[in-house]
Amino acid sequence: MKKIFCDIKKCIGCSACEIACAIEHSKSKKINEAIKEIPLPIKRRKAQAVDKGITISTGCHHCEDAPCVTACMSGAMYKDKKTGETKHDEDRCVGCWMCVMTCPFGALTRQKQDKIVVKCDLCPDRDTPACVEACPTEALFIGTEKEFEEKLCKSR
Amino acid sequence: MQIAIIGCSAAGISAIEAIRSKDKKSRITVISDEKRPLYSRCLISYLLAGTIDEKTIWYRPDGFFKQNKVDAVLGAKATKIDTEKKEIFFERVRLGGRVEKLKFDKLLIATGASPKLEKIPGVDKKGVFPLRTIGHTQEIQSMLGRVKKAAVLGGGLIGLRAAYALKNRGKEVSVFVRSPQILSQIIDEGSASMMQKHIEKKGINIVTGRSAKEISGKDSVSGIILDDGSKYDCELVIIGKGVSANIDLAKAAGIKTNWGIVVDEFLRTSDKNIFAAGDVAESFDVALEENSINAIWPVACEQGRLAALNMLGNEERYDGTLAMNSLEFFGLPVISIGITKPKKDIYEEIVRTDAEKNIYKKIVLRNNVIVGAIALNSVDTIGIFGALIKNKVDITPIKDIILEDYFDYGKIVNLIKGAKYGFKEKEFKETIMTL
Repeated sequence: MKKIFCDIKKCIGCSACEIACAIEHSKSKKINEAIKEIPLPIKRRKAQAVDKGITISTGCHHCEDAPCVTACMSGAMYKDKKTGETKHDEDRCVGCWMCVMTCPFGALTRQKQDKIVVKCDLCPDRDTPACVEACPTEALFIGTEKEFEEKLCKSR
Repeated sequence: MQIAIIGCSAAGISAIEAIRSKDKKSRITVISDEKRPLYSRCLISYLLAGTIDEKTIWYRPDGFFKQNKVDAVLGAKATKIDTEKKEIFFERVRLGGRVEKLKFDKLLIATGASPKLEKIPGVDKKGVFPLRTIGHTQEIQSMLGRVKKAAVLGGGLIGLRAAYALKNRGKEVSVFVRSPQILSQIIDEGSASMMQKHIEKKGINIVTGRSAKEISGKDSVSGIILDDGSKYDCELVIIGKGVSANIDLAKAAGIKTNWGIVVDEFLRTSDKNIFAAGDVAESFDVALEENSINAIWPVACEQGRLAALNMLGNEERYDGTLAMNSLEFFGLPVISIGITKPKKDIYEEIVRTDAEKNIYKKIVLRNNVIVGAIALNSVDTIGIFGALIKNKVDITPIKDIILEDYFDYGKIVNLIKGAKYGFKEKEFKETIMTL
């Protein structure tokens, strides 16, 4: 399936992905207005330190046997049978945090005001996800695992 | 092939979906003693609280059985399994208990568990309920108008959820807990006392170290008498004293049982054609390293899925069960995984508390491998601990930062890279391949 990958060798931890993600998931989709929204728009991708000078941008891995889908007791988290994407129906979410409990990547975020979880949705309104487009070093990539591997081979 | 499934909650439903994802032809017959079983059992306290509507509780659509070509025998009780002839006998309650039988090639027992009821005088009075089925919720709801005060017996997950629900409905609620702490099966004393204070501040009365010795009243409840002789007047009593596995059917058929139905790493019982999954199944626990029952939703779903695949002739190995619970009361969340109250000194505990932020975090280690964790009010990354537990990773290099607020996935990347046998979940490779 198509999903977002991060090449740790290229990631500089600049957080451009985080900001682009939060803006894309705001009501206005404009940075100057998004920062005033209540609740503040939530990023679904995080730039994290691995070691000195090494960083990674991480989010939902859209796992094949997704533990969050297995754990979801309200049927809010589900797999898209066509694309393989792990999707979340916010209307069905009851805020039990069972998905948070089981995500091996810590990739889910609690939106406390409405008591729902939010996650990477691969930017359904865009051709290229906002984080991938915003990444200044091309560390982020959207495609299949095979395509990502080929890209890695070429760049190494 | 004829596949039979007894029980149609988490494990049964998950099994049906797994079978149909691979096999469109085999006949599936499911027998359930509930007339409308496609609801999420975990949501019944939410329904009682009024925080969700009726429609949300039906977590699979009405057409589920038809879509999946399942012959659903609802409102029927399985009474006997003949393992030699491979037959199940069941009584249709609606048809006046008519007994019918069904031949099977493979059988999944997903009979779940039943609430343990207190053996005290008066439990049979009107107004005393466990909270296990949607029927219980509906019965409680129908009498709420007459209730001013309620007593909850038991301070575990169900007891507290029930108390929270009733408080949300404007009732005066007292919880009586036999143990010295609430949630004693799930979290440790330190985190429990923080949660207790928080719940009490929101107006639920909690009395620890106290149990009821009698429920008083004529036909209906009028109060309870506690073990110190004191009385508490109430019109409603909810009993949340845990559950016990429904093993009688299997036991009578000669299938190996202990606390639950004993299953192997393929979810198979002592009979090669019969599998078990969910709250009734007793399987290897990865943290305890011995057999155990973790009667929780995610375990039931995973076991149901794998048992189903194995009934179809695959060899899908089950890594084992792991205790896990997520709770939130009045905006304070707590999640626990694995062993949280170690009893032997082979375990090491690391605790970090932050009184100002009301945070409590703990990990339990055995030879530097995490076997349990608690996170209160800082829960977002606890799933990473779960992965470290399952993959049995030596966490020595990150021991000093693992409970800090800034701990995240990035901090285990080097551990994944160094892990001798890699991590089981294939998605971790996506990180490692770029290093």
